[in-house]
Amino acid sequence: MNRRDNPPSLRRIALSLVAVTAAALALTACGSSNQSADGTTAITLSMQNPDVKTADPATAAIVSAFEKANPKIKVTVSGEAVADHLQKLSIAAQSDTLPDIFWVYKSTAEDMSKAGKLLDLAPVLDELKLKDTFPASTIDNFSTGKTIYGVPYQGLLTGLWVNKKILADNGISMPASFDELVAAAKVLNGKGITTISNGANQSAFSVWSFLTDLDRYGFQDKVKGLLDGSVKYTNDDFLTLYTHIDELRHAGAFASNVSTQTYQQAVEQFTSGKAAFLDAGVWASSTIQSSAVAPDIAFWKGPEFSDGVGEQNIIMNVASAPFAVDHRVGNDPQKLDAVKKFLAFYYSDAAQQILVDNGQPPVTTYQPTVDATQQSALKAALDAATSKGVKSPQSQPDLLVPTPVANAMYDSIYGVIQGQLTPKAALELVQKALDANRQ
Amino acid sequence: MIWISTRWKLLLMLAPALVAFTMFVVYPVVYSGVFSFTRFQGFGDPKWIGLGNYAELFADPFFWQALQNTVVILVVSLAILIPTAFALALLLRRKIAGSGALRALIFGPAIIAPILVGLIWVFILDPKIGLLNRFLVTLGLPAVPWIGGDVLSPVSVSVVFIWSSVGFAMTIFYAGLQQLPSDVIEAASIDGSSSWQTLRYVTIPMMKETFAIVTILMITNIFKIFELVYMLTGGGPVHRSETLVSYMYFVTFTNQQYGYGMALAVVITVLGAVVSAGYLALSRRKEQAA
Amino acid sequence: MTTFSTQTQRLLVAGEPQPRNRRGRRAAFITGAAAYLVTFLIILPLLWVVLLSFQPSSDILSDPFAFAHFTIDNYTHALATLPLLKMYGNTILIAVVSVVIGTLISFMASFALTRMIFRHRKVQSSLRFYLLAGLAVPVYILLFPVYRLDLSMGIFGTYAALIAPYIAVTIPFNTLLMTGFLREFPAEIEEAAIIDGVGLFTLCWSVVLPLMRPVIATILIFNIVYVFNEFPFASILINNPDMATISLAVSRFQGQFTVDYGGMMASATLVLLPQLVIYALFQRHVIAGMTAGAVKG
Repeated sequence: MNRRDNPPSLRRIALSLVAVTAAALALTACGSSNQSADGTTAITLSMQNPDVKTADPATAAIVSAFEKANPKIKVTVSGEAVADHLQKLSIAAQSDTLPDIFWVYKSTAEDMSKAGKLLDLAPVLDELKLKDTFPASTIDNFSTGKTIYGVPYQGLLTGLWVNKKILADNGISMPASFDELVAAAKVLNGKGITTISNGANQSAFSVWSFLTDLDRYGFQDKVKGLLDGSVKYTNDDFLTLYTHIDELRHAGAFASNVSTQTYQQAVEQFTSGKAAFLDAGVWASSTIQSSAVAPDIAFWKGPEFSDGVGEQNIIMNVASAPFAVDHRVGNDPQKLDAVKKFLAFYYSDAAQQILVDNGQPPVTTYQPTVDATQQSALKAALDAATSKGVKSPQSQPDLLVPTPVANAMYDSIYGVIQGQLTPKAALELVQKALDANRQ
Repeated sequence: MIWISTRWKLLLMLAPALVAFTMFVVYPVVYSGVFSFTRFQGFGDPKWIGLGNYAELFADPFFWQALQNTVVILVVSLAILIPTAFALALLLRRKIAGSGALRALIFGPAIIAPILVGLIWVFILDPKIGLLNRFLVTLGLPAVPWIGGDVLSPVSVSVVFIWSSVGFAMTIFYAGLQQLPSDVIEAASIDGSSSWQTLRYVTIPMMKETFAIVTILMITNIFKIFELVYMLTGGGPVHRSETLVSYMYFVTFTNQQYGYGMALAVVITVLGAVVSAGYLALSRRKEQAA
Repeated sequence: MTTFSTQTQRLLVAGEPQPRNRRGRRAAFITGAAAYLVTFLIILPLLWVVLLSFQPSSDILSDPFAFAHFTIDNYTHALATLPLLKMYGNTILIAVVSVVIGTLISFMASFALTRMIFRHRKVQSSLRFYLLAGLAVPVYILLFPVYRLDLSMGIFGTYAALIAPYIAVTIPFNTLLMTGFLREFPAEIEEAAIIDGVGLFTLCWSVVLPLMRPVIATILIFNIVYVFNEFPFASILINNPDMATISLAVSRFQGQFTVDYGGMMASATLVLLPQLVIYALFQRHVIAGMTAGAVKG
């Protein structure tokens, strides 16, 4: 009989398992960092990207610049994908094990603050004299009453990126009104070109330009009423808007595979010249800059509606999801000091310039220096934001409502875009969420 | 066996598993079950609302859609997966060079991270850029909305589930086949029955427990499908292709409605257990009738 | 159920004997070809992942079917970004400990629930159902409570935080397989051994366990693969990046607005291949020699 017929005895198996475990222990031991106290203060920064260095170079650069200027402070940067990140934070909040500083959705931060899990940053900002460096809307956005629960992280400047070459090649002039956009869509659709590139797969929130359109139908004035029930989401103004979105769908403006396409794929469609417009924001400027379409880029605030309500010349230029600080930091004087230093550094002109160098607009009132050729995409976006007469709403509509309502809004808009919901049904979806929220 | 079955020995054998299981599975389920009667966001104070979440659940069209999708996946997958895995196990029991390597490769899809399973299959099934439709279009046939449409998504999810689970099921069948006492099989062939008759009247009846095991595993796994759907369609469009767990994930973590999400989770658990138990009872009854 | 002869045992191990005539050999060839074809079709998507891992990330999205540029950048980037060795070490450690303990205690319970005699029959079957019901539980329902449980037990942040839930969660599956096979298996061998006077421990260790080799092998493989790929618990319970397990590797390349597809493919291949090797090895060494030493006819 050859060896094959003789199975290893159980004892042999047990021994080899022990050996494997020992080897595993050895592997884990090597390379483990030694954290010695020796006067350095360590603070944790938890972000919404697992690989911050690659996905969020601006933050990574600011952190390393900060550590260089403050050798006694070590910032441990960690992160995970947005969904996992928020999940972790919810669980951590309940057990009081939140990271020191972290990125979080505004509505979640508001709830956490009400539950007493966050540090009130009002005294911190007063002490660091930072209040004046922010636009007033930012402060209002992140406060309930006198408590400030969040500080800006990066800007949320959204709009439609434009590939001017595609428009020119097809004899379309840059649209200004909604009707012009629909006409352009019909022409482009006839040529098999996607007009507006977006993707709903795991990125239901990627309806930025349509959220801005809500403000072109009086959302800002209606939001209070929507929340307390005196105004219904199923009002005529919104019905008009959603009917317009349906018009765009009929004109063939959207890709046929919107529901299976992710946001990244939508960006890719645009950067490879297959789509005329991209529904995104300034954060895509780096990707666009390094692509082949960079020389033909413009940034458009979105269409104006002849039957709109209120100010039409608006562009969404507000603060995005904020940083929040764990309330336990307030009990640790060393940590508190380190956090204060970090925030002071983050909003200094030097750090804001780092933001700009990495393709992000500044969040303070700092006026940055932008290289017109190297950063043409970013410049296009910033110019659109500061062009004469344009105003910005207070905040993006989905940031003013609780999470379930925001998700319902995304679903409602994408529902119409994908032809799954009639405009009326879409509005009712959101109204249902609003009603449930009030219970 | 009575000589070794003293009370104390029984306890010794059962205790570790029972303790671990109760502490880390049953207790959490009960804990979450309690939250299903509250309105809770994950932090802050939960508000007791009795059966409110369950009422909401029964009135929620998205829940029923998710349930329907899950049932479709259940029926399609079981019908195809079980015979296919069994056939593969039989096939690979023959003396084929490198059958060990083949078995390992077939098991491959079960190992690959769900993120990637979804990613690859999107490249195949996407109505616009997917391989399948591109192939159909070059043949002059119309493109089919395998995913992202209204009707076919659950079927496509079934296909992907079958692909990723066939190796898993096959391995269990293989182990089961190996444990068969083959003198009975030998006796049957000596008696002159063909290999098909041997299969039908001797082998399969002797594999009853194995079939039960695989079926129960597949049923419970199907009820728990999440990552596949999430990556293929995100649950869309507008929740039309959600399965039970993917919808529960949306409600609990994306919508931050923890209480309602836990009600969904409880219902999913109960459904999975009931269907499995139902299957067991049915097969017991058939066995007794036979 | 009857006992089996050595001859049939040999049949069991070796499979069907080689056909003698040409017709039989042709049939065998077709069978073999069919097996290879089916396997190829099944692994086609996997092969594609491996192929894609050698493509630059930008190309993967734009045209996943064209294989223009061949590069190993994804691997160098993945290896540079991920502390792979440490992640493997963590995963192996957690896997071995949880799988060994889990298999052992599941075996003990399964043995008790099938072979041993209970005062009340109903209790025995109810306990079995109790354990099996765990199969229906979706993991997300457990995340939050287990987190708190780990915290209150003071094991949060240690390897035990993951090991404990992994053990508990695999018990239903292990029990299902083991009780299933034990029920199909004749108990005469064990009864013979008891008449000979062996105690409980020797009975299990020297008689029953060796007979259950294929089942144990199956369970070991499945559970190790489970730990390697388990994501929800790992993402919640691991706070220290030094303790990350390999299942988190692929998700590392998923950003808020950007996805490094090349990195994902490369890390997935790096994670997939060792598991396939483990599976193949286990099969050859443990399942192959199963029936040697079993009852003589």
